[in-house]
Amino acid sequence: MNVPTAVRARAPETPRGRSTRGPFTFGAGARLSLLAVLVAAAFCACLFAGRSPSAGQVWDVLAGRGDATARHIVLRLRVPRALVALGAGASLGLAGLLLQSALRNPLAGPEVTGVTPGAVLGAVTATGLGLAGWESPTAVVVAACLGGFTGAGLLWLLAGRRRSDPEETVVYGVLVSAVLAGLTSMVLLVAPGELGSVVQWLVGSTEGRVWEHWTLLWPWALVWGAASCALAAPLTLLRCGDEQAAAAGLNVARARGAALVGAVALTAGAVSAVGALGFVGLLVPHLALAVFGADLRITLPGAALIGAVVVGGADAGAQVLSRVLVEGFGAERMTVPAGALTTCVGALLLLVVARRHTAGQM
Amino acid sequence: MPQISDTGVRETGPPDPADTAAVRARDAISVDGVSFGYPGRTVLADIRLRVAPGESVALVGLNGCGKSTLLRLVAGLLRPSAGRVLLDGEDVARLSRRATARRVALLHQSSPSVPGMTVRQLVRQGRYAARGPLGMLREGDDEVCARALADVGVADWSDRMVDSLSGGERQRVRLAMSLAQDTGVLLLDEPTTYLDLRHQLEVLQTVVRLREERSLTVVMVLHDLGHAARFADRIVALRGGRVAADGPPGRIVTPRLLAEVLGVAGRVGTDPVGGWPVCYPDHPLPPGELLRNDNRIH
Repeated sequence: MNVPTAVRARAPETPRGRSTRGPFTFGAGARLSLLAVLVAAAFCACLFAGRSPSAGQVWDVLAGRGDATARHIVLRLRVPRALVALGAGASLGLAGLLLQSALRNPLAGPEVTGVTPGAVLGAVTATGLGLAGWESPTAVVVAACLGGFTGAGLLWLLAGRRRSDPEETVVYGVLVSAVLAGLTSMVLLVAPGELGSVVQWLVGSTEGRVWEHWTLLWPWALVWGAASCALAAPLTLLRCGDEQAAAAGLNVARARGAALVGAVALTAGAVSAVGALGFVGLLVPHLALAVFGADLRITLPGAALIGAVVVGGADAGAQVLSRVLVEGFGAERMTVPAGALTTCVGALLLLVVARRHTAGQM
Repeated sequence: MPQISDTGVRETGPPDPADTAAVRARDAISVDGVSFGYPGRTVLADIRLRVAPGESVALVGLNGCGKSTLLRLVAGLLRPSAGRVLLDGEDVARLSRRATARRVALLHQSSPSVPGMTVRQLVRQGRYAARGPLGMLREGDDEVCARALADVGVADWSDRMVDSLSGGERQRVRLAMSLAQDTGVLLLDEPTTYLDLRHQLEVLQTVVRLREERSLTVVMVLHDLGHAARFADRIVALRGGRVAADGPPGRIVTPRLLAEVLGVAGRVGTDPVGGWPVCYPDHPLPPGELLRNDNRIH
């Protein structure tokens, strides 16, 4: 049909031409660099925040002086502990963003999709059965991974044919998480002898992590982290909506499956290293999206860095808090686990996020 | 153009003997005896439809008559239970998801929120099929993106958040994302739903202009028969999962089409300036009468 010229739309008067603004503009690069500096700062804070040896003694050790005890504590305990905190934080931040993007749900996180509770159950069961302990971290990693994949697998089976519906998937995730947490409690009741060490899995702590934990954590986190960042393009497209992504050429089911596997693997690695650090995987992605925007090519690495800063900072904060409690109130052997700190601060942040989310939907 | 009976309503008869593979290869879209259904419900039955390159087709019909399903089948997002869909002579079932998306773009009716995404980032996502998952990791926009942004008139808002736009603006941005796929075929599923009249016209006129500028083949599902009559070369009316009428608006938009396909009694006139048919729907027909019509058509 010939449309008369009078009713035709005017040609848009907008300048054509190639845009020079990519995602790696100075702004994004500067923000990433700043975060890297913050990661280094968090690392230093973890090293220096402890009570004994004091900050001065730590400095002596780093400068090549210091007595044998201080050297041992700093080089064999403090450094690996700080590294484990950073690595676990990066893994959890990545895992959370992968889950939220794959399920298109801002309230999804490893904690509420059965992944973290499954990994905890695995670790607790292995410890309770005497198969694993602080002396044998390898067994804990294996058990946590098995548990994490079991939790995710349960969710996969339960969600059944409706697994393409993100909202429903999250509801089932909460169900699976509750059941797994219940099973964990049962294991704790049956094997109370191990309670002291086992409770650390539930709250999440960086106490007593040594080089062995780090050597297990970093290759795992690196491999899965790199694989996840390679998923940045499909996941960014998936954020546009399932149907829209499929129409633009994405195999939605495959991309979503790959992202979920990556998220489970990263979470299991982090849980086996530091236990269930509350809210990190749920809230770090929101910070990352606020700082870097929805282009996951830059936001995924950003989430890893923010996660590292958050958990490193929480660890340093927990050490300072423990120090204050011991020095101020004279409490003997009082240690605040980092997980307690992330849970308390996280709960407040979650409230903010949930309110903003609800307001955004109006 | 298919045969049109005097009444403007065409029976979907057996395929034309001259309908050889050589002829078919020239069609931009060829829907070849396609059926589709879910257990216990047939959505489409033996649909035959050929769309020539550069043609603009409007699909009309009642809710649930299978219009959107037909678009999804053509876009390769659903697989037919019988028959096949050819794009430029190639069977969609044999093409990968990405290869299909390089040939045909589908603009969906809904546009879910995309928190934190700018207009440029969203439009850039349309390049996924052309560049692949690793290619998307590299540089930023390319020429095709810039052209899509400019052609739809949204280049000025490139750095605005998509979620901060109004419904009409958002629909244009989604259209730019579909254009960024750089396909020869553009499918639109009710592109004007939720839009006010002004924005409806804006979107449809943009589609008409782009089709001319880019020689696109356009198939769009439209609820408004008046819009279909004005903005398309050809109207295909679906009813109960079958093609009930097919032809140029001037010939098939009749009171009988209104009654038998849309289930309303009404009159049809002509726009005094543009010359296209204009519908004056009056009242919905009672269900008993619909059933009688149903029997007569099939």
